Amino acid sequence: MAAPQLDVRDPLEPVALIEGAAGHTDKTINDSLLAHVWRGAGKGWWACFAVALSLLGMLVISISWTLYKGIGTWGNNIPVGWAFGIINFVWWIGIGHAGTLISAILLLFQQKWRTSINRFAEAMTLFAVICALLFPLIHTGRPWFAAYWLLPYPSTNGIWPQFKSPLTWDVFAVSTYFTISLLFWFLGLVPDLAALRDSSQSKMKRTIYGMLAMGFRGSGRHWAEYKWSYVLLAGLSTPLVLSVHTIVSFDFATSVIPGWHTTIFPPYFVAGAVFSGFAMVMTWMIPARRFLGLKHVVTMKHLENMNKIMLVTGMFVSYGYLMEHFIAWYSGDPYEFAQFFYTRMRGPMKGIYWTMIFCNVIVPQIFWSKRWRTSIPVMWFASILINVGMWCERYNIVITSLHRDFIPSKWENYMPTWVDISLFAGTIGLFSTLFLLFLKFIPAVAVTEVKELRHELAHDPTADPVGETH
Amino acid sequence: MSCDDNHEARTKDRAKRRSLPIAGQTSSPKYWRSVEERDRTSPVPGAANEFAGGTFDVAQYGQEDGNGGNSVSRRGFMQVASLSTAMAAVGACTKPAHKIVPFVRRPEEVTPGNPLHFATAYGLDGYASGLLVESHEGRPTKIEGNPAHPQTLGATTSFEQSLTLSVYDDDRAKQIRSGTRPLAWRTFLAETAARTSQLGQNGGAGLRFLISPTTSPFLGDLRKRILDRFPSAKFVSYSSVADDGATDGTKLAFGKPLIARHKVASANVIVSLDADFLGEGNEQTRLSREFAARREPSRQMNRLYVVEPAMTITGAMADHRLRMPGGDVGAFLASLVSMMASRGIAALAPLASLTHGQRHWDPKWLVAVATDLERNRGNSLVIVGRRQPAAVHALAAALNVALGNLGNTVEYATPLTSDPTAGVAPLGTLVQEIAGGGVDTLVITASNPVYGAPVDFKLAKLLERVPNSIYFGLYEDETAAACKTMIPAAHPLESWGDLRATDGTVSIVQPLIAPLWGGIQEADVLAAFVGEGDVGAHALLKKFWKTQGKAPGDFDGTWERWLADGIVPGTAAPAEAGLTVDGQALAQAVAPALGAARQGMEIAFASDPKMYDGRFANSVWLQELPHPITKLTWDNAAMVSEATAKALNLEDGDVVEISYRDRRIDAPILRVPGHADDVVTLPLGYGRTGGEKVAAGIGFNAGELRFSDAPWFDRGVRLEKTERQIKFSITQDHWTMAPDGRETPPPVVSATIAEVLNPHSKFHTEVEDRRPDPEHPQPVIHKPVDYSGQPYKWAMAVDLNKCTGCSACVVACQSENNITTVGKENVRKGREMQWIRIDRYYTGSFEDPEVVTQPLACVHCETAPCEYVCPVNATVHSDEGLNEMVYNRCIGTRYCSNNCPYKVRRFNFLNYINDYSAARELGMNPDVTVRTRGIMEKCTYCVQRIERKRISTRIEGRMIQDGELLTACQQGCPTGAIVFGSLNDSNSKVSQLHADPRRYDLLYEIGTRPRTVYLARVRNPNPELGQPEKAGGHE
Repeated sequence: MAAPQLDVRDPLEPVALIEGAAGHTDKTINDSLLAHVWRGAGKGWWACFAVALSLLGMLVISISWTLYKGIGTWGNNIPVGWAFGIINFVWWIGIGHAGTLISAILLLFQQKWRTSINRFAEAMTLFAVICALLFPLIHTGRPWFAAYWLLPYPSTNGIWPQFKSPLTWDVFAVSTYFTISLLFWFLGLVPDLAALRDSSQSKMKRTIYGMLAMGFRGSGRHWAEYKWSYVLLAGLSTPLVLSVHTIVSFDFATSVIPGWHTTIFPPYFVAGAVFSGFAMVMTWMIPARRFLGLKHVVTMKHLENMNKIMLVTGMFVSYGYLMEHFIAWYSGDPYEFAQFFYTRMRGPMKGIYWTMIFCNVIVPQIFWSKRWRTSIPVMWFASILINVGMWCERYNIVITSLHRDFIPSKWENYMPTWVDISLFAGTIGLFSTLFLLFLKFIPAVAVTEVKELRHELAHDPTADPVGETH
Repeated sequence: MSCDDNHEARTKDRAKRRSLPIAGQTSSPKYWRSVEERDRTSPVPGAANEFAGGTFDVAQYGQEDGNGGNSVSRRGFMQVASLSTAMAAVGACTKPAHKIVPFVRRPEEVTPGNPLHFATAYGLDGYASGLLVESHEGRPTKIEGNPAHPQTLGATTSFEQSLTLSVYDDDRAKQIRSGTRPLAWRTFLAETAARTSQLGQNGGAGLRFLISPTTSPFLGDLRKRILDRFPSAKFVSYSSVADDGATDGTKLAFGKPLIARHKVASANVIVSLDADFLGEGNEQTRLSREFAARREPSRQMNRLYVVEPAMTITGAMADHRLRMPGGDVGAFLASLVSMMASRGIAALAPLASLTHGQRHWDPKWLVAVATDLERNRGNSLVIVGRRQPAAVHALAAALNVALGNLGNTVEYATPLTSDPTAGVAPLGTLVQEIAGGGVDTLVITASNPVYGAPVDFKLAKLLERVPNSIYFGLYEDETAAACKTMIPAAHPLESWGDLRATDGTVSIVQPLIAPLWGGIQEADVLAAFVGEGDVGAHALLKKFWKTQGKAPGDFDGTWERWLADGIVPGTAAPAEAGLTVDGQALAQAVAPALGAARQGMEIAFASDPKMYDGRFANSVWLQELPHPITKLTWDNAAMVSEATAKALNLEDGDVVEISYRDRRIDAPILRVPGHADDVVTLPLGYGRTGGEKVAAGIGFNAGELRFSDAPWFDRGVRLEKTERQIKFSITQDHWTMAPDGRETPPPVVSATIAEVLNPHSKFHTEVEDRRPDPEHPQPVIHKPVDYSGQPYKWAMAVDLNKCTGCSACVVACQSENNITTVGKENVRKGREMQWIRIDRYYTGSFEDPEVVTQPLACVHCETAPCEYVCPVNATVHSDEGLNEMVYNRCIGTRYCSNNCPYKVRRFNFLNYINDYSAARELGMNPDVTVRTRGIMEKCTYCVQRIERKRISTRIEGRMIQDGELLTACQQGCPTGAIVFGSLNDSNSKVSQLHADPRRYDLLYEIGTRPRTVYLARVRNPNPELGQPEKAGGHE
């Protein structure tokens, strides 16, 4: 097949979706994208893995200590009943949103540029949700009961969960989200697993990948079934992008606490989730595309698009902040006013507040500039700042709101303990460990989709020369 | 729901039931309440048979050993070992050996599970506080005041509440010992007998007794018998917080040592000079009640002036407060007296020239007080505190007499303690005798004098010179370490005895439980010196009272009534009549004592509202109780004013070196609003170095700077900042109601009496805005529940005008509800567990703030924010409006606490009950679940009391009457500030208070519809002194 001369460059912004697409065939794409799986683990991988594993060890130790001694090993107190545990939960859940958004919503909108990054982002979703799921369980006083009393099962004592409580909604929202994300990710993997099976060199690998591929042989019927079920799951996932963080925001919004009790939370949380999720994808993608040799499929076009999304969602988030403060003043509620204009801006935790404002409001503004939007060091650094900023935002919401609420006699400060810090560091370790294993055993880019994209770009006369439909 | 039909049948049924043995009856019990009791019929080997067929079968678990006997397998051994540990714990709970009589003579029927109440008495300074002790199956679990007792009137102090903790204290001394040699009581008696016969040869010249001041007629009689046998022996009373100034002062004024009995109820104007009469002293419970009764907002409301150096709860209640060093109070009083004299009060004329040049106080203040006193002649009262020297007490007595207050607001009576003085002077003579080598045998029953005595006495060192020193105490404390022989004392709840209230009324002290750790009673120790150490305190006591002629006829019957009632009728002692003051002589006597104060900073010592003089230092409840003013727990601090701290560049927690005379100690600084400048107040009772584990390492010992010539205050102390800092565990870090300047509605509403009495004042609109208006109900999402069909609609009202912040309710609640303590570190983290907290706010200037206190527990919102957020239905609403906690359902998400706007929920962050000793578990209230880790808890409105009362009234076929059901906090409160009852009874006290014009709902604007409401604080300022400024605040 003679490869036609492809012009996959935007005349205005000449950046390709597949670098050197013309020179690629299915085989070369296959080889280049599966290479990092077949390549033995290098020194770099082992070094990263060692760091991740030791952080994971901290997680194991701190969870064990928490279960052995109780929540008293954390810094929580009355009034700060929720602290790092819930911050981390919300932060991780938020990070998970990028994957679903990229995979599902961009798929439904037929955004072709999603193909190179969706696998990556979906895996991150999954791992982030695993990290997030740890916290609701271990942050309870008696996790051995929480594990099943939160679930509505018919029992002889006839007591059901309290369906008025947003925490009960949370259980459904997050577990649904995890299940759908897992299915969606796995389904997307099936053709690639089959490709791995076919290119395996050893019998054991062939067997394992073969089992995981579930007998996918690439027949027309397989492809047809695969396609429609993938779109179906994408359709199921789409509302989840909105619902999960909406319900997480209800954990706060349904309460009476100034700083929590606000109607803007659902959209503001979802925007924040996408914002932080994209930032996290950036933070990992930039080194991964370099070290795994994926620069030809994860191009500057991808990175730039993601920066644009971060700019947009960053503006949403800034608007959320603005509105919170405006309503606090406009409503005339003295407690809410005090929360935003005294406690947050000028209270003992004002450092966190101003860090949040800097990272989430100021930093994304640099993406207005084309030059900075396309500068790898700038965007990488900015993405890390945004992660920090979004963590601070949750700190502000959870701890700062609680530590000074209505009656000054029971205001207390909050100090995290070593357990709090190792739990947070530990989940980063868990996330990294899972992610490194993912990079080692599963193609980081959806090979099938890239090949498909190449074909589409090559054969579809109606295809947008840039590979983007508007 | 009438039970009348069933009532008769039930009564018959009950009569048919076999009555169970009452405590003390000798018939062998068929039902047993402890393993020991059960086993009393069968000796221990018989008990082994129980195991043979059951838990422990030797044949099954044991193995044949080489000698043909059974050796016990490891598993079997463990079973026996654990069983015996359990038995040791259960067996520790034994009823007293002699018959004790419950408070209300109920049918002779003890129902397991139903508690009995026994009347007894406790004497902090030797004077009785009549108590009722709740006893569950022979275990005292809760202290209440005896309503029939003239001193307590049914209320308590936090000290008294803590007795049910200290009785089970595992740290108590448990072994009689001489040096390190354990002694049997009989051996001790034999050795004492030998010693005393030797001592008797010279009339007991070397025999000395150092006792706590006591009013006990019985111990007084024993003392007389000892002195009869050993005419040269001597008794000395000592307390490190004795109020010798008062008795010495009345001696100056009236020629004989007398004690003042105050009657605040009839005083329109009270001038309190360094007197914390609401917070300490023998009369505090009664005076609190009387004072609060006169705070009802009306034209009859009393007015309180307080002059004091450090803020006390009395100062916090003051309408006008003047802060000044303790050493200047005398000069202030002298000026007041001479001003009164110049206004034509003839009796004071000889004292007119006492005025001193130094007048650093506001002259307007003096004029206002003088005018007010003059206006209220006969109905005014001047009270002087125990720290003030004799001259000040004498002047106050003269002033009271001159104002015609005698007999109306104050009367003077002969001290009922066996020694009129118990301070430095009598101890000084004993010390000289010891130093002179004249003391051979010294029996110390005083409370830890080695810790409490002035440092210049060097008592610990001196005791080495006493060949035979015997200490009788509850703990292996500092004094025990310095004495040769240690006798573990029986706890007040384990002892027989008697005590007199300030008015003379005798109470018999009856034990609630046999000594847990084999403690010996004080009477037994003293009786050993008349050869009756083995007779037993009960027999001696009963024999003594038999001879007193108070019970003609059937003595045993009368005796039982005394025990049951808690008072011996007809024993009140009359006051002195016809007292006059020789003004001329008094003027001469007091003039030198009122000499100009020396320059320099003042060092002032104060008894602690939690540790007192150190004797409560091992009580975790009191250690963790927030200080009523500073809210400091688990520490004491050198308290200074803001100005003094600023001048010395000190912050809270800075450790300073305090040097006074030739001694130095390190102490952390705490700034206290309203504290006098240039004074450092050092609370006593901390820095203990005895064997008490809880007390060890807590705070600093202010006694290290206490000299015999300046037991309370002196000038010339220096503070030097060190590099060190400590972190306090303070439960309320913020001083004002808007620490950062926010404009939120203040949690406490306060007003002046003029504003309250004027129906059109701003005050009334303010409180009206903060309570439900039937015509404009708050918007709600759900239809409000109608509670009017329920039998009860429980609610509470707290009158902030009556709350002194004394904190008795906090400990009462802790005791009633098995509330744990969490320790210093966890308090610092904000994890204290007390269900009721007393918020203290300052308003006005830092220098002269007004103080308001607000007890706050769960307010049982009708639309409770905590309930709908719980994912597992662990906190739900009852039909009668209680917000209930279902402990065994709770998984500990803590969302309920986050969503509680009052922040009154408490979480078990750790398994605090791990630290409980087996003995402490005996003191738990069996009606209340003990909470483990990971569970949320909070005030339940004492639901166990509601249910108990519901059961008993249902059996009687009637409704619960208003006032017969008290919550623990309500019952403990000395002022009656807390009222609980049903709103469905429109005549109930709580219904009336809910309709009071001063009522407001805390956080009304959130719409939680709290069932606990507050009544605004009212002050009665003297219009001549103008309104104290209200604006501004400090953090």
